[in-house]
Amino acid sequence: MKLEIKNLTASINGKKILDGISLHLEPGKIYALMGPNGSGKSTLAQILMGHPAFEVGGVGKKKPSVMLNGTQLLGLSPDKRSRLGLFLAFQNPVSLPGVNVSNLLRSAAHEANSSKNQIKSNFNPALNVISFNEILFRQAQNISINPELLRRSLNEDFSGGEKKKLEILQSVILSPKYAVFDEIDTGLDVDALKIVARQLMNLKKQGCGILLITHYLRILQFARPDHVYILVQGKIKEKGGFNLAGVVEKSGYRKWAS
Amino acid sequence: MDNASLLRQSYKYGFHKPEKYVFKSKKGLDESTVREISWQKQEPVWMLKFRLDSLKVFQKKPLPQWGGDLTGIKFNEIYYYIKPTDKKVNNWQDLPEEIRDTYDRIGIPEAEKKFLGGVSAQYDSESVYNSIQKTLSKKGVIFLDMDSGLKKYPDLVREYFGKLIPPQDNKFAALNSSVWSGGSFVYVPKGVRVQLPLQAYFRINAANMGQFERTLIIAEEGSFVHYVEGCTAPVYSTDSLHSAVVEIFVKKGARVRYTTIQNWSQNVYNLVTKRMRVEEGATGEWIDGNLGSRLTMKYPSVYLMGKGARGEILSVAYAGQNQHQDAGGKALHFAPDTTSRITSKSVSCRGGRTSYRGLIQVFPSALHAKTKVVCDALLIDDASRSDTYPTMDIRHSDVQIEHEATVSKIGDEQLFYLMSRGLSQADAQALIVNGFIEPIVKELPLEYAVELNKLIQLEMQGSIG
Repeated sequence: MKLEIKNLTASINGKKILDGISLHLEPGKIYALMGPNGSGKSTLAQILMGHPAFEVGGVGKKKPSVMLNGTQLLGLSPDKRSRLGLFLAFQNPVSLPGVNVSNLLRSAAHEANSSKNQIKSNFNPALNVISFNEILFRQAQNISINPELLRRSLNEDFSGGEKKKLEILQSVILSPKYAVFDEIDTGLDVDALKIVARQLMNLKKQGCGILLITHYLRILQFARPDHVYILVQGKIKEKGGFNLAGVVEKSGYRKWAS
Repeated sequence: MDNASLLRQSYKYGFHKPEKYVFKSKKGLDESTVREISWQKQEPVWMLKFRLDSLKVFQKKPLPQWGGDLTGIKFNEIYYYIKPTDKKVNNWQDLPEEIRDTYDRIGIPEAEKKFLGGVSAQYDSESVYNSIQKTLSKKGVIFLDMDSGLKKYPDLVREYFGKLIPPQDNKFAALNSSVWSGGSFVYVPKGVRVQLPLQAYFRINAANMGQFERTLIIAEEGSFVHYVEGCTAPVYSTDSLHSAVVEIFVKKGARVRYTTIQNWSQNVYNLVTKRMRVEEGATGEWIDGNLGSRLTMKYPSVYLMGKGARGEILSVAYAGQNQHQDAGGKALHFAPDTTSRITSKSVSCRGGRTSYRGLIQVFPSALHAKTKVVCDALLIDDASRSDTYPTMDIRHSDVQIEHEATVSKIGDEQLFYLMSRGLSQADAQALIVNGFIEPIVKELPLEYAVELNKLIQLEMQGSIG
């Protein structure tokens, strides 16, 4: 069970953003991905999840490939990737008027359980809502989420910190094999940061492989990465251990700029 | 008799008490047809005269040149009256496949399916209906089909019938007035609060879903009633024209809520006139859901006649392929301190067309009037269309007016987000659409809300193909 990215190049409107990315992620490990603004971190996250806006290519004659446990993800729609066990926590999650997180996750769970394009008429929504919501509310409590937020339109008029916590909650409920967290720490106070980091460590313990995109050393102190990658101008410029994050914190990315 | 004509009869009257004889008027409409209808029903003379006068108005008035395209209606091909018959379609398989399929997928109970399909004459809830009737009559509440109402309470009916929506109002009100049949008659005495919603659904011995139904509700001072009609499942009809009239009188301090969910089959022109007269301190509420049909033109209205009267109109419309939903609402302020609110949500999909058409009129007598109109449209794809035709006629300046209108498309980022959680594109769209109409759906009785959500889900699956 591994996630293997090879020769991944991506562009949008003719502008190259990723330039030959190859990464190898093992289950139960945390990989920190750091890099200056505009280096392509979020693009990588979105492409892994299957955002249709990008043009994906390889390097020279070498074809691009994103394999999850032997299945080629490239070309699959985001929902199929999700059902194979991939998760993305968005940097800026969109608001969904009239859709609360319970509805969303229940639809997702329902979809996963039913065969394609068939609504089960014997599905008893009332029963499922209750047992499902019990789990949801318990997990939300662990992340110190105000239960009222679970009933409101997701992300609509949420604070930055509330949005991030709701992303974490979704990852916990969906329990993915690999998860990408795109700047999950941005805008969090220190208490929230610790809570989020604890959930990341829990996921790691359960065997989830984590790609953690961040600008700051702070979260890495609570959710200590096994590997750190530096992404600059669409290329992985350096790989290292936790120390590498300290170097970035101290001296920035100048050293890798060409 | 072929299945189609058998269905046409049984659909309208399949759940009616078996009658001894059958009568079907000839195709088309003239004075003799109207006389025949009135004679068959053994109506008082004043009703016959009302019908005949209405016919003249209908014949004189031209087709409306606004709204939707009405030129496809073939007035001469329509049977305007079919006398109840005990013949019914007993074969579930005789219903069109798409209708059966939809029933199955929505997961509604078998008995209900047959009722909706016009297959079954006796709905299982007869006993429920009877016990409800007993409770109601103890309180003096009258809940009958319109024909029986006229027979049993001719004076009461005469006092109100056609007073709020006269035949001269519009061509289709005139048509209904001349050939009406079925519908409901509801009378709630002073101070009586009817706790359970009155569902046309349960009133099984009446032809309540007819082509030209006529409903009259009178809520006396300080009373309350919630009337619910229709269903979310598609109603199969071989009749191509549905033209109802609903008149509601809300007396001082009373409150009436009228909820409609309709899902006509795709051949139907649905042209309905609905009006409430709201007296001092009273509240009138329309909740109006329109799905299906070829063209719907429907603008429930509130006439705010007394000081402090309130009117609220919630309208939700869904237009799929080859459908045009021209819906909205009207609020007319005649008295001081009156308030009105119109909320319209429309969804267009697969080239469907929705229009919001609304009127706010504030007369000089309506000082300190307040009104708020919110109309939101959601487009699922580029082929679909939505228009807004708001009219405001404000005759003085001491009035508070708010108007908001938005048109949005389902955002790619919203879809991507939901699909990243494992939802198929269809389910993601359905979730967004259901979220969009949620403010109105939450006002519906629970079973309607659940069915409506499932129906949207089915529609979205169809839209992706």
